[in-house]
Amino acid sequence: MTRKIIHIDMDAFYASVEQRDNPALRGKPVVVGGQPGKRGVVAAASYEARTFGLRSAMPTATAVRLCPDAVFVRPRFDHYRAVSSQIRAVFQHYTDLIEPLSLDEAYLDVTETVGQGTASELAKRIREHIFEDTSLTASAGVSYNKFLAKVASDINKPNGQCVIPPERAERFIAQLPVGKFHGVGRATEARLHALGIETGADLARWGEAALERQLGKHGRWLHRIARGVDERPVEPHHERRSIGSETTFLSDEHNREAMITSLQDQAEEVASSLQKHNLLAGTLAIKVRYPDFSSVTRQCPLSPPTDQHKAVLPLLPLLLERTEAMQLGVRLLGVSVSALIDADTALPAQLPLPLNNTA
Amino acid sequence: MKLSLSREELLTPLQRVIGAVEKRQTMPVLSHVLVSLQNGTLSLTATDLEIELRDAVEGVMGDDSETTLPARKLLDICKSLPDGAEITLSVSGNKATVKAGRSRFNLTTLSASEFPRTDTLQDPVSFSLPQRGLRSALQKTAFSMALQDVRYYLNGLLLELAPGNLRAVTTDGHRLSLSEYPVDIAVDAQHQAIVPRKGVQELLRLLADDDGDVSVAMTANHVQFSLGNLQYTSKLIDGRFPDYQRVMPADNPRVATIDRETLRQALTRVAILANEKYKGVRLQFGEDVLTVQTHNPEQEEAEDTIAIGFSGDAIEIGFNVGYVLDVLQAIECDTVLFKLSDGNSSCLVTAADDNNHRYVVMPMRL
Repeated sequence: MTRKIIHIDMDAFYASVEQRDNPALRGKPVVVGGQPGKRGVVAAASYEARTFGLRSAMPTATAVRLCPDAVFVRPRFDHYRAVSSQIRAVFQHYTDLIEPLSLDEAYLDVTETVGQGTASELAKRIREHIFEDTSLTASAGVSYNKFLAKVASDINKPNGQCVIPPERAERFIAQLPVGKFHGVGRATEARLHALGIETGADLARWGEAALERQLGKHGRWLHRIARGVDERPVEPHHERRSIGSETTFLSDEHNREAMITSLQDQAEEVASSLQKHNLLAGTLAIKVRYPDFSSVTRQCPLSPPTDQHKAVLPLLPLLLERTEAMQLGVRLLGVSVSALIDADTALPAQLPLPLNNTA
Repeated sequence: MKLSLSREELLTPLQRVIGAVEKRQTMPVLSHVLVSLQNGTLSLTATDLEIELRDAVEGVMGDDSETTLPARKLLDICKSLPDGAEITLSVSGNKATVKAGRSRFNLTTLSASEFPRTDTLQDPVSFSLPQRGLRSALQKTAFSMALQDVRYYLNGLLLELAPGNLRAVTTDGHRLSLSEYPVDIAVDAQHQAIVPRKGVQELLRLLADDDGDVSVAMTANHVQFSLGNLQYTSKLIDGRFPDYQRVMPADNPRVATIDRETLRQALTRVAILANEKYKGVRLQFGEDVLTVQTHNPEQEEAEDTIAIGFSGDAIEIGFNVGYVLDVLQAIECDTVLFKLSDGNSSCLVTAADDNNHRYVVMPMRL
């Protein structure tokens, strides 16, 4: 049976929330993120700001250069989370199969809900409902799989929607630039371009085996979705693969103590997040971004898997020593944990000796 | 350089130093052995920059000189020559010629000045003990050194020198092994050195199981062992070993007396059906009886019961069976004592009649 999937994407979510809450910001280029003159990146840019070329993840300094009149607003993540759960409550009126991707994006499987009706009407209804409850606009993509639904939600943005029915999928994918394909980032895009692959039609022309030779398993996946095949279900309990935290310093940091303090604070944050989700981590990693923007990660196993920040504290300086942080300085440090397991699945666990290795 | 000696005179020291030559080196000269003749003493030196091995033969004819030769090739050549062959070695320019009977080999040399050497140790703490003593202390503890742990100071063996005592300690964070050997050492304070893993394994290869002396010299950065003409130097791991006394259970009141071989066999049998990844076994200590039990994800089960000396309330505790077997292998005695507290706390294993070797094993939550 053909599924009916809706991808809902809030329009410039953080920036729109700020404009909603503060009328003085309406109609102005608004940037949520780091303050000008300091380190940081754009977390969200209002549509007015986007006309100047501002994009999320852009360094604040670049944003100031492109749009000197932009109003910079500090992010209020707790507030966005609260608004996000309001939106999620709207979804729950229509389906239980909700897979949130972030605070402002989710897949809904509405196959059961729609019955003989159209998913397009339902998407419109959900967007209206969101606006009634939050005064925020959303865009929607409707199709028979996640890949196409997500691509579709981008097409009539903001405050619009687009439907890609199965009979139109082939033509739609054929003209789609490869950069829009699921899992294709800038690096893969460049590789595909180098191979002369610009669009979905080009991808489909390449055989599965040939793509796999060039790109490995990922090539096989691209070949599948280029034929419109994406059977990934909408998973209500999106399993976390990792939990992490990052801190960008106001200016390049060279002081070892300051680096370690930052890592320790982040480890505490990560550990409490593990506890909140009832998870144990089997791998610890730190990320170091040097002043030249190149980054490295260093990781080590956690044996036994743990949710205690005390267990990881002694390891942080040791991982840091494996980088060139002391020689080069850092602009960003991050701590993350992966190999997550449910704390309740009682796997046999070797208990550690209480070694006093913080010394 | 020109010298001559018998095949055995060259082969024996070469075999003793070859362990320092890594298969893959960062510098070409590290694949070479430094050959140096001085006052009739020929010394061979090999290094990987972490450990250095040097051995010497006396009474070799030739002029004072030095060069370096490809170590493994030279070793293979010596091995392949017939017993008792008379070898002559001559060097001119960057070529060395090895001749024996009607065989001739031309080898490439590298300048002896390029060869990295360890300086003489400055003001070391020195002492000596029978090789058997050091060998036993290392052998009884080396198995629980950590392997490539991010806590780099665990990837080696702690050699601790205290008045009257030499102590070897290793831990991988799950278990800890300690072995003491009484030595007559004139030190006033305690000295600690962490010998890297490779250094320990190489040393074990060199030490004989006899009463011959080994002299030890320790500084903050190096440890040096001398066995006759053989001199072995290792860099130390620059770090602080955890305070192992803290994890030694001082007072585990529940003591089980167990025949070592009987337990070893029971564990070996039961281990066949343990989970391949976790190797967990459950030990149930009851009134004069120990039941060992395990199962695997395929729901296969194994159980074995042996007679032990134990009284009081029963204790149930899980272990990685490999950890327990390692201890039983190392401890070498007829009867072992398992000193327990409860199922979540560490277990201390010692020999019934000897407290010089102590093993702490943390349990596994099954």
